[in-house]
Amino acid sequence: MRVVREHRDDLVSRVRVLTAVVTGVLVVIATGFWFTQLVQGDYYRELAENNRLRKLPIKAPRGLIFDRKGRLLVENVPSYSLMIDRSRATSLDHSLWYAAGVLGRPVAELQQILHQYRGVPVFKPVLLAENLSLSEVARFGVEGFEYPEFEVEVQHQRLYRHREQTAHILGYLGEPSLDEIAKGNGAYQPGDMIGKKGIEQTYDAQLRGRDGERVVVVDSRGELLEEYKSIPAVPGKNLTLSIDLDLQQEAARWLDGPEKVGAVVAMDPRNGELLALVSAPAFNPNLFARRLQQSDWQALIDDPNHPLQNRAIQNTYSPGSTFKIVMETAGLTEKIFDTHTTVGCSGSKAFYGRPFRCWKKGGHGTVDAHSAIKLSCDIYFYTLGQKMGIEKIARYSRLFGLGSATGIDIQGEKRGNVPDPEWSQKVRKQPWYPGETISVSIGQGPVLVTPLQMAELTAIVANGGHKVVPHLIKDARLPPPEHVAFDEDALRTVRGGLVGVVNEPGGTAYGSARLPGIEIAGKSGTVQVIAQAQRTEEHNLPFKYRDHAWFTSFAPADNPELVVTVFAEHGGGGSRVAAPIAQALYAKYFGIDNGKSPSP
Amino acid sequence: MQSISGSITGSHPVPEERPRLRLLSSIDGGLILSALLLAAIGLATVHSASSEMLVDYFPRQAGWVAIGLVLLVISMSIDYHVLLDFSVVLYGLGIASLIAVLAFGVVHGGAANWLKIGAFQFQPSEFAKIATGLFLARYLAGLNLRVLEFRQILTAIVIVAVPMVLVAVEPDMGGAAMYAPLLVGMLLVAGIRVRLLVTALLLGIVLVSGVWTFGLKGYQRQRVLTFLAPETDPLGAGYQVRQSKIAVGSGELMGKGYMQGTQSQLRFLPARHTDFILSVLAEEWGFLGVVTVLGLFALYISSAARIAIRARDRAGIILVVGLISITCFHVLYNSSMVVGFVPITGIPLPFLSYGGSFTMINFISLGIILGVDIRRYVNR
Repeated sequence: MRVVREHRDDLVSRVRVLTAVVTGVLVVIATGFWFTQLVQGDYYRELAENNRLRKLPIKAPRGLIFDRKGRLLVENVPSYSLMIDRSRATSLDHSLWYAAGVLGRPVAELQQILHQYRGVPVFKPVLLAENLSLSEVARFGVEGFEYPEFEVEVQHQRLYRHREQTAHILGYLGEPSLDEIAKGNGAYQPGDMIGKKGIEQTYDAQLRGRDGERVVVVDSRGELLEEYKSIPAVPGKNLTLSIDLDLQQEAARWLDGPEKVGAVVAMDPRNGELLALVSAPAFNPNLFARRLQQSDWQALIDDPNHPLQNRAIQNTYSPGSTFKIVMETAGLTEKIFDTHTTVGCSGSKAFYGRPFRCWKKGGHGTVDAHSAIKLSCDIYFYTLGQKMGIEKIARYSRLFGLGSATGIDIQGEKRGNVPDPEWSQKVRKQPWYPGETISVSIGQGPVLVTPLQMAELTAIVANGGHKVVPHLIKDARLPPPEHVAFDEDALRTVRGGLVGVVNEPGGTAYGSARLPGIEIAGKSGTVQVIAQAQRTEEHNLPFKYRDHAWFTSFAPADNPELVVTVFAEHGGGGSRVAAPIAQALYAKYFGIDNGKSPSP
Repeated sequence: MQSISGSITGSHPVPEERPRLRLLSSIDGGLILSALLLAAIGLATVHSASSEMLVDYFPRQAGWVAIGLVLLVISMSIDYHVLLDFSVVLYGLGIASLIAVLAFGVVHGGAANWLKIGAFQFQPSEFAKIATGLFLARYLAGLNLRVLEFRQILTAIVIVAVPMVLVAVEPDMGGAAMYAPLLVGMLLVAGIRVRLLVTALLLGIVLVSGVWTFGLKGYQRQRVLTFLAPETDPLGAGYQVRQSKIAVGSGELMGKGYMQGTQSQLRFLPARHTDFILSVLAEEWGFLGVVTVLGLFALYISSAARIAIRARDRAGIILVVGLISITCFHVLYNSSMVVGFVPITGIPLPFLSYGGSFTMINFISLGIILGVDIRRYVNR
């Protein structure tokens, strides 16, 4: 047969084998589909979703901050950033050349910026330029069709209306540190801006609100097709501060200028509300609202007066003569002296075999409790201190809140130091010398306080022993203040002395702090920076060797509404330099025109 | 059938009608049914795949299928022996058209593989493939041996190599590669020693490495490399593999529904109406859709194999094997490519992918196979 001659059986069996092989391969391929679609299906479904869905964050507008009278302190202003999606650029060089032309910046600079993003996936838009002008925004918008790789992103930037004047209260924003991101439990993402200092930091949770998210469907070209879902942003809460902008600005103006270093605290002694809190020098927080330039940062760091430091709470100083308030309250409460006990002052007195001088060379003659404060007689307080002993001085200092944080609602507060023999052994590793008690009695030596603690101390005297907690938020819900059981007569005597300081002829601040119509009570203090022997005429001294000046006060004396504490670093004499600043604040607060303005 | 027709027409059957009835009734149902179903699925999928494109390719593809059906009838009605007799001429024409392409070809996607005649563009490599198949079948059918001799194998290689090289220099590697299964399939069936096969395999490896080093253009090499590690460069050359795998995988068991595939409708899939038509189908119809299509191809291939086995003569067997080898390779390679098994190259899926020349050639091939089948009883 023909079939046999053609070796048909061989051909047929080969066809069968080949068919079997092909069928086998088909089964293998089907298995591949099974694996991809059924075993890995979930994985690829997610990838498909990632492909088509793009998450666009909706930033929650941060809460605004007002002063106690509803005046805006911080607002949000739009700021435009130029983003580039490198995967959509047909030629990166060409794109950069175009962007450089619009922005008026060298191409090389933009190339360098892009170079930093080498590790970032190309399809992830990266930041090319910030703070675009409106005309630049318009150009990228109009020509966007030709350059789809560019996208202008609107961000809200903090604008601190009063710049340096409120810098230390409000603080500023910055990108969260890795530590903060970890602690935030998902609340913060890298690239977010969070409060780094001041009110912005303490009340960050309320101010920031909650970011929303818009999920949109996009095609392969990234074109937005439709909305998939949208979670609206919850705006941050607005805050009203207890700060009175008028007082804040008045204080800031007095501390504005070269060689003006110090702090001013104005507080309502009835409830602890702070009406002004100024530290000088300050910084411009608007520099932090955008990404801080290295040069600006370096300037802040290098400034010998440390403008980033809030002197009202972060620096501690010897209280000087203002400490006499503590001494007299303690002495009278402890009945070591009574109001009529007198001490003779001849300008110098020996304690433990060493002479201690009064600030007044000729002496004050006979001094009692009232005149001791009014005249700020050192000999009276040396004598009182020696009789009372360091332990009691320390105990009363602590009752006045010294040596511990006041609890103000901004971070970074220093505790200061209340020295006693135990502290001396533990920290200095040396015994307490009796002579030191004498120095501490007039606020020198190792006793250290912050200006805020001084204001707190003054408020306690003014309000009759209520340890109010200083705070910056208006109508804060705080537990009722702790009441310290000082002797009522003692406090009354001290307050009388403080009234005398300002209002009675011979008072140390009689000429510098008196205000017609309002009775101010206060105490000045001068802290020596270098030893008496080396002193010359003050204005001849270099700035850093000049005395520190204190003035702490309240008014009206019979029903105190306001405590003002002024500290001027290297300011010179307390009554001469610090008292007029307090006086100006009272004038502002009570609406009295005293015709004075800050010296230039 | 005969007895039924006999009973209807009574005791006087009509002798003239008998060959025609026999001709139609002997058409293989599995082969024609699977081809028509695949073409119908292809039309629906092309419509979905091109819905987001500037033009809907559905009407055009429907036109190609219609022309294909006409060509099917024509190629079926011509006796394959006549085709084999004319195969020298067809082969010569195929070579000439390939040379013409090199000289006057229209460039599409980096390769000059289109020939324009008036308003009509076509790919000569597709037609040259069929012509080469016919010519090779004629040569091998004439060698009435149990096992081919080396010289004969070499002749067969030369017959295939001439058009293959011409296509390769266009350059159309995918098109050129199509000649390999034609040669291998026909040689295997015609008879080849195992020793020789191993030698050829080794030679092939040497050839492949040579082509890799000297023959491939940068982008082609990149494609192969990306195939090996597609995740490394998701928006570069690995993009296509990755997008295809995402489309296929995300279809899961039931698919996302017709016209609902996000990967294709949102234009993430490349060449989705042609080379990646199966990705679209896999995404929208899921694993069930894929199994259906692969099942239909299995039916098509096994039906063709059955036709080869029952073919009347050696020429018929070899011719059918050659034609079905090409289809097999297209199906196996394209589906492997879509699921990420092999590098991406322009090898479309028969009956499903959009394409004029390709659709026509598939129906011509089907027609020739059916032509072989209906003549299995006819004495020459």
